[in-house]
Amino acid sequence: MIKFENVTKRYPGGTVAVDELNLTVPPGKITVFVGPSGCGKTTSLRLINRSIELTSGRILVDGRDVTSVPAVALRRGIGYVIQHGGLFPHQTVIDNVATVPYLLGWDKKKARARAHELLERVGLPASFAKRYPAQLSGGQQQRVGVARALAADPPIMLMDEPFSAVDPIVRASLQEEFLRLQQELGKTIVLVTHDIDEAIKLGDNVAVFAEGGKLAQLDSPARILANPADEFVEDLVGRDRGYRGLSFVTAHDLPVHPVPTTALGASTADARAAVRDQRWVLALDADRRPLGWLDVSQSDMDTVDTVESAALLSVGATFTGDSSMRRVLDGALASPAGYSVGVDADGAFTGAVSTAEVAQHLASQDRVSVEPL
Amino acid sequence: MSIFAQLLEFIGDPAHWSGPRGIPVRIFEHVWYTALSLGIAALIALPVGLLIGHTGKGAFLAISIGNAARSFPSLGVLTLLVLAVGLGLTPVLVALVVLGIPPIVAATYEGIRGVSPATVDAARGMGMTEFDVLRRVELPIALPLVISGLRSSALQIVSTATIAAFVALGGLGRFLIDGLGVRNYAEMVTGAVLVALLAIAVDLVFALFSRIVVSDGLTGRAPAPSADTDLAPATTH
Amino acid sequence: MRWDWIQNNLENIGELLAFHLYLAVVPVVLGLALALPIGFLAVRWPRLYPPMLATSGVLFSIPSLALFIILPGIIGTQILDPINIVIALTIYAGALLVRPVADGLRSVPDHVRQSATAIGYERWRQVLKVELPIALPFVFAGLRFVTVANISMVSVGALIGIGGLGELFTDGFQRNFVTPIVVGMVLSVALALIADSVIVLIQRVLTPWARAGRSS
Repeated sequence: MIKFENVTKRYPGGTVAVDELNLTVPPGKITVFVGPSGCGKTTSLRLINRSIELTSGRILVDGRDVTSVPAVALRRGIGYVIQHGGLFPHQTVIDNVATVPYLLGWDKKKARARAHELLERVGLPASFAKRYPAQLSGGQQQRVGVARALAADPPIMLMDEPFSAVDPIVRASLQEEFLRLQQELGKTIVLVTHDIDEAIKLGDNVAVFAEGGKLAQLDSPARILANPADEFVEDLVGRDRGYRGLSFVTAHDLPVHPVPTTALGASTADARAAVRDQRWVLALDADRRPLGWLDVSQSDMDTVDTVESAALLSVGATFTGDSSMRRVLDGALASPAGYSVGVDADGAFTGAVSTAEVAQHLASQDRVSVEPL
Repeated sequence: MSIFAQLLEFIGDPAHWSGPRGIPVRIFEHVWYTALSLGIAALIALPVGLLIGHTGKGAFLAISIGNAARSFPSLGVLTLLVLAVGLGLTPVLVALVVLGIPPIVAATYEGIRGVSPATVDAARGMGMTEFDVLRRVELPIALPLVISGLRSSALQIVSTATIAAFVALGGLGRFLIDGLGVRNYAEMVTGAVLVALLAIAVDLVFALFSRIVVSDGLTGRAPAPSADTDLAPATTH
Repeated sequence: MRWDWIQNNLENIGELLAFHLYLAVVPVVLGLALALPIGFLAVRWPRLYPPMLATSGVLFSIPSLALFIILPGIIGTQILDPINIVIALTIYAGALLVRPVADGLRSVPDHVRQSATAIGYERWRQVLKVELPIALPFVFAGLRFVTVANISMVSVGALIGIGGLGELFTDGFQRNFVTPIVVGMVLSVALALIADSVIVLIQRVLTPWARAGRSS
């Protein structure tokens, strides 16, 4: 557990970077510090491992004042990941990862064995061990950075914009993997980002910082979206917070209905008859798993006798009862047929729902539910 | 007797301030040789450096020659040329020019090559001819480096001209070589100090020159933008 | 060219060459030893950087022959003592190397420095194990320049009687005899090129990572 008690950082010249911060970071959870640049979020993070020394107040890590431990020893017990990874360009990947074990005086063999284990853990092939950072892509460098931070198995990890230097696709997959890793490891993590989407996606708790180093709100992501503490937080989460809030509502009670279905190899005439005056038929496989939508109004339908997979359009993302309403709505909006397709645990078709029906369902609930998942 | 006392005694003697071997004449000679050699070296080196930088052709050759030239001992070049051509001003000037060329070519090439390709692309995109690109964009941006090349060249020439007294050139080097011949340390020190001061003065002249001709936008000396600059009327210059 | 002169003087030429190498290389080593701490200080206290640059610029602009002659007057050595050459060239080497050292240390990316601190490096260990290695390509570029410059500058010392291969120039000139001058030129240039190659080789061994980005 990390506890900020009345923490203030004032620079010579009077700039106040962090102002009377009180905040508790619970153990085993991801706490995200989010806010615009200059709000003191990074400063607050760096106060924890004393990369920056505070002016007044105190920070307790597991009940111990951080200033009571020599800074160097404190830091070796706290993992640290930053933008670009902060890798040492003159050392190989394996030596980068083994840095803290070396500093802690482990023998070389043990440190390297540990480093190899971690490379595997973050999804990098062993053949990367002898490479230099310049030979890796941004995403790979970032993984090495995470592996390095984990090397001495610190209970606490500090992450400063760890995913912002990579492109959006790589970022999304790094985020997913990071969440999976955290499920296994259960570290106490403080992560700084300026991206509210990332904060909502990754955080168990989100601390919103306002300019001048003040804490505007500390809450679960769902509650921050539903009940912004003030105008500043409301602005930060943006106008589409209602839509984002759907991430935290399940499709559990969502009513679905059947649609006309067909199978590969079935006659197009039959399929046409089944839809009567409508356009779209859902093709299913032998286990009733959805394969794709067929547009029977297509002009070349007359020349084709049977349903071919080449003629099918993608179903897109399907949903189950545990999926979020955001996924359901996304599915419906992206579907050529205008329907989001529901499946059961085995992937078999259960029913479909249209955009309008999703909206109706949401409206029938009191308001967008804010109960966290 | 301390070095300063010897220096003052030599300088204080009015006999050393007049005639064809006096201090003013020697200073004038040294400056004249330097200016002449630098001028000729620049006339040759600047176009070559600009051309190589702009086209990127012949860069490897030019850089290699430049590097090799740096490893040439100036005293060797001087003595060899004078033995080959004979005593006189011309062979010495040739040596000074030859040694003065490489720093200018190298720096000019580096300067032009250092201009961001995006900037050059934008210039061409606006319809500038290749000559316009060179004159209006590449050269002004490369100017700090071009001037530092001229400065290195000038210092190289001042230094080599001093040594050239050994092969009978005039200038301040005469005090050093003549003083050495008759074991007159006062005379040597005077020459050495004057040469050092001349070199430092040349250095300062180029620093000043660079300050005057290089755009403030390149030196970081332009005032930082303030909230109201954008709104200021356009009549402020 | 008189080849027989070369044959008859091989031993003498060898001695001059060895002395030339000594006069050129010792100052480079001493100059680096001076430049490392000074460059480090100029990075640590950025306010020192501009005056440091100005001082090194002024020192380097002083013609070598002038410095060879002024030095004994200041430090009280004999004018014909080789130590003058060594000290003068050390001053040049140091003046030239502080800038690459400082620029190299300044080239260490902020995120690398930050993470070294956050990982728990002690200050001195961080400088030695992280910052200095990353600065090496800059330092080596400086070393190459200084070494080549020194090897060609040593010859000037011949004018005051201590010049290694430079003595072949003065000797040849006074006797109106080209052969020693050509021999001196060839050996001096060859020495510079070989020394340069050796430094490049050492650099390759010490900084394998610097080429890593380009080979992949």
